[in-house]
Amino acid sequence: MVKVDEILPKYWYNIIPDLPKPLPPPRDPQEAEFSRIDLLRRILPKEVLRQQFTIERYIKIPEEVRDRYISIGRPTPLFRAKRLEEMLDTPARIYFKFEGATPTGSHKINTAIPQAYFAKDEGIEHLVTETGAGQWGTAVALAASMYNMKSTIFMVKVSYEQKPMRRSIMQLYGANVYASPTNFTEYGRKILEANPNHPGSLGIAMSEAIEYALKNEFRYLVGSVLDVVILHQSIIGQETIAQLDMIGEEADLVIGCVGGGSNFGGFSYPFIGHKRASKYIAVGSAEIPKFSKGEYRYDFPDSAGLLPLVKMITLGKDYVPPPIYAGGLRYHGVAPTLSLLMKEGIVEWREYNEKEIFEAAKLFMQAQGIVPAPESAHAIKAVIDEALAAKKMKEKKVIVFNLSGHGLLDLSNYESMMKRWAKNGQ
Amino acid sequence: MGNKLLVVYMTLGYPNVEQFMEFITESARYADVFELGIPPKYAKYDGPVIRKSYDRVKGIQVWNILGETRKKVDIPIIALTYLDDWISQLDLFLDNLKGIGIDGVLFPDLLIDYVDDFEKYDKIIKSKGIKDVIFTSPSVPDNLIQKASKITDIFLYYGIRPTTGIPIPVSTRQLISRVRNLVQSRLIVGFGLSNELDLREALSSRADGVAIGTIFIEEIDKNGIKSALEVVKKIRGILDEY
Repeated sequence: MVKVDEILPKYWYNIIPDLPKPLPPPRDPQEAEFSRIDLLRRILPKEVLRQQFTIERYIKIPEEVRDRYISIGRPTPLFRAKRLEEMLDTPARIYFKFEGATPTGSHKINTAIPQAYFAKDEGIEHLVTETGAGQWGTAVALAASMYNMKSTIFMVKVSYEQKPMRRSIMQLYGANVYASPTNFTEYGRKILEANPNHPGSLGIAMSEAIEYALKNEFRYLVGSVLDVVILHQSIIGQETIAQLDMIGEEADLVIGCVGGGSNFGGFSYPFIGHKRASKYIAVGSAEIPKFSKGEYRYDFPDSAGLLPLVKMITLGKDYVPPPIYAGGLRYHGVAPTLSLLMKEGIVEWREYNEKEIFEAAKLFMQAQGIVPAPESAHAIKAVIDEALAAKKMKEKKVIVFNLSGHGLLDLSNYESMMKRWAKNGQ
Repeated sequence: MGNKLLVVYMTLGYPNVEQFMEFITESARYADVFELGIPPKYAKYDGPVIRKSYDRVKGIQVWNILGETRKKVDIPIIALTYLDDWISQLDLFLDNLKGIGIDGVLFPDLLIDYVDDFEKYDKIIKSKGIKDVIFTSPSVPDNLIQKASKITDIFLYYGIRPTTGIPIPVSTRQLISRVRNLVQSRLIVGFGLSNELDLREALSSRADGVAIGTIFIEEIDKNGIKSALEVVKKIRGILDEY
């Protein structure tokens, strides 16, 4: 029997020292009424902040964190998508890492656990964050309860009303979930005064969460984009490499979808840093065309403009994304390390539209049975394209991708996709 | 004096020209190098304290004060300013520095915003007889640290925090020991060294010296020039223990 220790790593992997060029540092805006970098210092757990600015290649995972990783079912399984290969009639071998196997249904829990642990370790009893669709809030709610802490989640009001199941999960984990804008913060009260029926936004929810954490001396947790989040997610790629080694496979192609970049980074960076594959493909949504239309420049990582500016590929913090089916991909930017790797040509990109990913998701479900998160279905579409290309070239490529989450809580999205296309006669 | 270098940073003309001159002439007894900040259009990589100091001296006679300072002190003077601000008239800027006897220049944005062309700019700076002090940080990859340490003049500046003056928790020892063996020139550590412990950790990790600025400005604001000079003296004392 394979032991957990042979797969679950003891260290997080940090790609920064292995980047081809220096990572441009975060900075404060020109006319800053306050320092965003200093704000980070006041809201993040100390160790999280230290890890954000570290250059060490390997950082030890505390035993207390590894224990929790094990108790949520890590290492997650690596499957061979044999039936998908058959349906595509491809000589390529396709493997996928299934992050949907965690209790919260996505990779988000991988960073929520250590962030909660480091907060607890410095004597904090209460965690705060914001959530849009709910994946991140769910992960924080569970992580808090795993360390006997309280949590408060500011959930964008429109999601709070439209995604009652996500809200219920967080509440069952013991979180206080509020529809943002709320009356608990000055910022929220101001918004409500102007418009009592304000539907809320991620920026507003985040501003409320930060204000609430600051005022009460709680700690605020960040779900994506920051280097420290990708650092924690590096367990995905490291586990995958260990699992491939066990079956004697070497990856040629590594594929993942990109919201902010944390699942893609966590999955692919260990491959990139250790040169364990030859091609990397980041997949986004054609409806949020940040790869094809984004600019590489300094921008706020959050629409509220409360975090320091970082250099990244961005559509602009004020970009209003269309209300697409894959909420996790609606983010306006690409994590700074991933932006740099894309600029340097190390990571390639693809963008697919709703119809394409819907077909891919359906095919994958019929082949493998798993309902993929609509975000992850973008990666699947790229995998299918690459497998068909391999068929044409008669190449026995090994394709490995990250199935970052399951889609069982996104069935209403799939339902509306089906209806939409039926109407269009497709 | 011991072997460790004390690089004293001060914003040019802060808090006013008269007191600035007093601070510089007095602290020259303890400092090895002066680093004088010319107020930039956008202090991209500076923290809130230094930014505020720039705001307060906006509109000063940069060249006059630099010239006066040169006449008053003998130790090397490095002008700290952003390449962004001077790139369109770089030759003129460097000629002016040379003309009044400023020793070197440090552009914190050189390896960040101009990384693809930094060797070209290094050549231009040196061709004007000005020393090029290169700024690096932990996110600079090994090979680039090595390259920079070979071409930098006077010392290699290594800023261990993402910005000046904010005590972001970092592993000072690890950050320094990583680059120590890559760097052949003198290694000066700065950015956010704000307490004695941090300072001592930097020195015992084989840094050749430290660059300090924010604490002097904070001390001037709180207790005035005399008290800030006491802090310079105290830091000199700590350096001399190593």
